[in-house]
Amino acid sequence: MSMKGYFTGDIPRRKFLELSLKGGAALVAVPSLMSLVSCKGTPSGEAVLTIEKDVLNRTIQKALERGGEFADVYIEHRISREVLLEENKFKSGVFGISQGAGVRVISGDKTGFAYTDEVTEEKLLNAAQVASYVAAGTKAVQPVNVESEKRPSYITVEVPLEQVADQKRLDVMNRAHQAALDYDKKIKMVSVSYYDEVRGRTIANSEGLYLTDELPLMFFIVQTLGVGNNTRHMGRERLSKHMGFEMFDKYKPEDVALTAARESVAMLEAEDCPAGMMDVVIENGWGGVLVHEAVGHPLEADNIAREIGAFTGKLGQKVASDVFTMVDDGSLPNMRGTTNFDDEGTQMKRNVLINKGVLEKYMTDILSAKQIEMERTGNGRRETFRDIPIPRMTNTFIEKGSDKPEDILSSTKQGLYVQSISGGSVNPTTGVFNFTCREAYLIENGKKTVPVKGATLIGNCLDIISNIDAVGDDLGFGPGICGKGGQSCEVSAGQPTVRIRSINVGGSRSRS
Amino acid sequence: MENKELAESLVKKCLEKGADSSEVFIESSRDLSIEVRNGDVETVQEASSNGVGFRVLKNGAMAFSYSNDLSEKALEDTIGRAVGFAGSTTPDENNILPSEKGETKIEGLYDPDLSQVTMDRKIAIAKKVEELAMRDERITKSGGSGFSESENEIFLANSNGLSKSYKTSVCNFGVYVVAEKGEQKSSGGEYCTRRFFSDLKPAEEVAEKAARDAYEMLDPKMVKTQKADVVFDPDVSRAILGGILSAVNGERVLQGASFLRDMIDKKIGSELITLVDDGTLAKGLGSQPFDGEGVPTQKRTIVENGVLKGFMYNTIVAKRAGKTSTGNASRGGYRSIPGIGPHNFFMANGDTPPQEIIKATKKGLWLKGVTGYGINPVSGHFSGGASGFWIENGKVVFPVKGLTIAGTAFDMLNSLDMLGNDLDMNRGFTAPTFRIKNIQIGGV
Repeated sequence: MSMKGYFTGDIPRRKFLELSLKGGAALVAVPSLMSLVSCKGTPSGEAVLTIEKDVLNRTIQKALERGGEFADVYIEHRISREVLLEENKFKSGVFGISQGAGVRVISGDKTGFAYTDEVTEEKLLNAAQVASYVAAGTKAVQPVNVESEKRPSYITVEVPLEQVADQKRLDVMNRAHQAALDYDKKIKMVSVSYYDEVRGRTIANSEGLYLTDELPLMFFIVQTLGVGNNTRHMGRERLSKHMGFEMFDKYKPEDVALTAARESVAMLEAEDCPAGMMDVVIENGWGGVLVHEAVGHPLEADNIAREIGAFTGKLGQKVASDVFTMVDDGSLPNMRGTTNFDDEGTQMKRNVLINKGVLEKYMTDILSAKQIEMERTGNGRRETFRDIPIPRMTNTFIEKGSDKPEDILSSTKQGLYVQSISGGSVNPTTGVFNFTCREAYLIENGKKTVPVKGATLIGNCLDIISNIDAVGDDLGFGPGICGKGGQSCEVSAGQPTVRIRSINVGGSRSRS
Repeated sequence: MENKELAESLVKKCLEKGADSSEVFIESSRDLSIEVRNGDVETVQEASSNGVGFRVLKNGAMAFSYSNDLSEKALEDTIGRAVGFAGSTTPDENNILPSEKGETKIEGLYDPDLSQVTMDRKIAIAKKVEELAMRDERITKSGGSGFSESENEIFLANSNGLSKSYKTSVCNFGVYVVAEKGEQKSSGGEYCTRRFFSDLKPAEEVAEKAARDAYEMLDPKMVKTQKADVVFDPDVSRAILGGILSAVNGERVLQGASFLRDMIDKKIGSELITLVDDGTLAKGLGSQPFDGEGVPTQKRTIVENGVLKGFMYNTIVAKRAGKTSTGNASRGGYRSIPGIGPHNFFMANGDTPPQEIIKATKKGLWLKGVTGYGINPVSGHFSGGASGFWIENGKVVFPVKGLTIAGTAFDMLNSLDMLGNDLDMNRGFTAPTFRIKNIQIGGV
């Protein structure tokens, strides 16, 4: 069932905790190291499998042989490396190669899909035949022969990953590990996880589209265990870009480590959080995951087309306060949610979803765009060639406002200051969401005071965006993994500092 | 070459390429997924795939590589990558591969008839469960229904002479519906997963539960922030079990990242609590004849009458801890390096009918939905969103939504005072209904 799992969240080091919920669910966020590909020491540019256009034309022809109005072929080739440094040891290194192709046929509201690990004409034609099953007996559209197309690139690479010696990867990990241990004696254990991949894509469809590209991705996670008197806290910080190895020239591994270590030590002093309704100020950055869940998922057009989404029928209506503008933009240079075009070949661009409180756009893939008669917004994404494309977010954020962050805090008499959020989930039908805070403080008389433990924020998407009454001028972003329908994909979430009046906060004591 | 011979020959190939010891894990699978909405097939996905994972040790250092390209050249290259990578990781005397030769005999992991059932019949099940769930007039929209199945075959061989294999099947159907009333929307979903096609529940039962979960929660109310008893439905048992499971992971324990690290042979909760991890259950969704690195599986009591009896280990972590593997090496497929995980993990059944637990509750929450991460395995802190029904004087009075619950794991486990007799072993991860006294609830 494609609609059950929506989460954005924590990346446990391994697949421990699998907390599945009813209604709108939070599964575990496992880094998507699934499905990765052959390097064979080839220089950049050769990771894309070369398949003759004639083969693609014949595959598309075959896919539409029994009927259907659209068909596409997606060929993927992925090479990945993952290293874990934990407890002073490089515990494991993982090198992965994965390749394959998915063939899809759309006929009306129906989709047929099949994939193959082997990218040969025989296997592609076989997949096309399987995928064509759903379209049997419908009117067929004559496919257009594919033609190459040039597209702008939003991802620049200075130091290609293929040219980086393994030792360089280990060096940045060591630097982060040491920096975290040096931060404070209370840091007793450090875990540094390094992941990079190069994903080559070839996309061809019955409209004549033919595109290829190659996307590097870097993901660096530091977790630190702080130990105090009878308290323990695992801090975490992540850094991720679609970039070459120069990411570590622009962003220091030590800084990633220090952010995690600081959180670990600060939260050792945390007290029980009070329960009940309160005003909440959320610091700029990854806190944007709140609108990613609460507003972003319900604005994905698949559930709108099914008429079950919380924002169904609200296009053009005022759904949020005047200070609230929300954007999804997959063309922001080198960001984690950025690609040159989505996994269906639609150009990336800035999409203003809610403009000064008015709902202007849903996020579509090719199928849902057709179903709701809206433009293709570039949100058709898939985890791998084994998955069907569905509408997904890219870099999603609350647009900056004009308030000064310090004024937002000082004008809040009492409440909760949320410095960072682990992640959350939403039921896209009812719009009910939840978030777990990593680091939060009480606000007393306009000041941050004591840290509080693991508070939960819950509410309804429509209420929350009406209750945002202050938006800062300090837009920031954080990297994350978003899960939906069993597929994970890389996203950014962002926001300036914002204040939401009256959210239900889950704490373990009553308010004094 | 058959996969068994292939696995054995690849083990040798790793040694030829310079590994001191090696492990080969070959997986082949076939998947089918059908989605239906409003009486029509919406998607059909079908495919089969193969892949191989290599784990090598060289001078005590470990590395791993995998590929789904099974051509001879690609396999050689992938092995070379693992052996090369082992030059970069840290030598550790605890890095060893298992040598346990046997396997646990388990009935009913593979249904030979599943692939023989016609596509039409599978589509018909998905259509039927949707139609039945839509029959209630309070249900206004379908989010879709579906049927899916997969067959999986594993071959594992290592340089200690292990060479084992097994085959599994699993099938599933379910439905997701929406009830609407004015501006209100409420959703409900239910599914059934079994190893054998003939063991699937009747569509009526699944449809009825999905519809009820949706319409029962219409017209919810809020309650005041207060402390009250909370009755956990089996559907939400993961909220408690998930954090405990992470906290008994032997590696987390060694790292100090578990709130249960110092609690072995000590009381961690009420005497009513017995937690079992069973890799041997016939037809169990989490059962396997051997774990992700070839160690035979067992049935183990993790918590007995409130006392913590043991942690979970794979081979490497067990050696580090001075123990032996508990058969808990988990593997998410050929792309995954073995970690630590459970098989069928459950809270043993009690003897109180669930209705009696509701009846015995003066004031409280019958918890049917929880959101969030559950118990934090490091700190033992619990916090989450909550929905369900409010109970007054032993009776359900109205649905509640948008609440929070919070506390510490030890307080909650020690306050578990009633245990139901409704354990359903057809889930990989489950508990009967239970009640926890006096939890902090956040409301208005």
